[in-house]
Amino acid sequence: MTLEDWYRQDRLPHIYCAGCGNGTILNCTLRAVNELGLVQDRTTFVSGIGCSSRAAGYTSSDSLHTTHGRALPFATGVKLVKPENDVIVFTGDGDLSAIGGNHFIHACRRNIDLTVICMNNNIYGMTGGQGSPCTPYGAITTTTPYGMHEMPFDLCAVAEAAGANYVARWTSFHVKELTEAIRTGIETPGLSFIEVMAQCPTSFGSKNKMKQVSQMIDMFRTNAVLKGKAERDRAAGIPLAPGKFIVGELVRRSNPVLGGRP
Amino acid sequence: MKLVIDERRCKGCNLCTQVCPYRIFQEGKRPGPRGYVIPVLDHPERCTNCRLQIMYGRQLCGMCQMTCPDQAISWIEEKPYEAHKVVIEY
Repeated sequence: MTLEDWYRQDRLPHIYCAGCGNGTILNCTLRAVNELGLVQDRTTFVSGIGCSSRAAGYTSSDSLHTTHGRALPFATGVKLVKPENDVIVFTGDGDLSAIGGNHFIHACRRNIDLTVICMNNNIYGMTGGQGSPCTPYGAITTTTPYGMHEMPFDLCAVAEAAGANYVARWTSFHVKELTEAIRTGIETPGLSFIEVMAQCPTSFGSKNKMKQVSQMIDMFRTNAVLKGKAERDRAAGIPLAPGKFIVGELVRRSNPVLGGRP
Repeated sequence: MKLVIDERRCKGCNLCTQVCPYRIFQEGKRPGPRGYVIPVLDHPERCTNCRLQIMYGRQLCGMCQMTCPDQAISWIEEKPYEAHKVVIEY
């Protein structure tokens, strides 16, 4: 089983725009899955609606493309019926935090043995760049032409408070660390939530002075603060600068799990 | 091993030019068969994975392949060894 076998060759090249981060995250996920040596017949990819959720269609194992925001309920059903399967959920920020917000909280509370990969591109990319609950404060989108005046959702903090067993945040620039995090997430029993900041040069970057893909990648490189450094800064009384975000493995614990391996 | 860019998949985002630690990928000038400007390879024999993968028996570096959003970068087996003309610069 090689890495190429996990891609559905007849569907490639995919429909993502040039420079979209979702393709990178798909690479990292499939590489982690391949390194773990999972069996193709016992791996299920579930996704909702959105750019990110197209990813499940490009994998050659079983995949479910479900209704908007309801990827987690479908995945819960798959996991409870077939506990021996590895279920991986691809979802986006609009899918997971807006319409599927309650499902996300309760999936974390139940601590089902899923791996949730949230491709957070800060915007509703597929429908034309409307503002989502994860759009940063002040960012310009189609529906917020004078700048977003609402505070964004911190999905990792939500997952942590709701009781997920493993929570990590990386960006599409940190590919090695992301692959490692996904591998750990699949191995960890209980809900593993991995938030990945992805670039959307077409809908988000072009309105926020980052028209080139390289500018968005540079933004990730400069704005990502490692968890260790953030903790040292907090102990020294230095607050996190606006626009910056913490990356790294945020939570790892072993709470009781629903639907684990028999 | 030989580094290749699949011209049918590449969309010319030039992310590989930014992540390669050896700067092997350079921005292309002419459009490819599908109209995208595909990056060109500058001395691809410098790539660590091309040279040392067989010796180590595992993938080395691989930043370009993992970052490429269009799954266009891969390594293919090369014929045993072909003589290259080497220009020595003094």
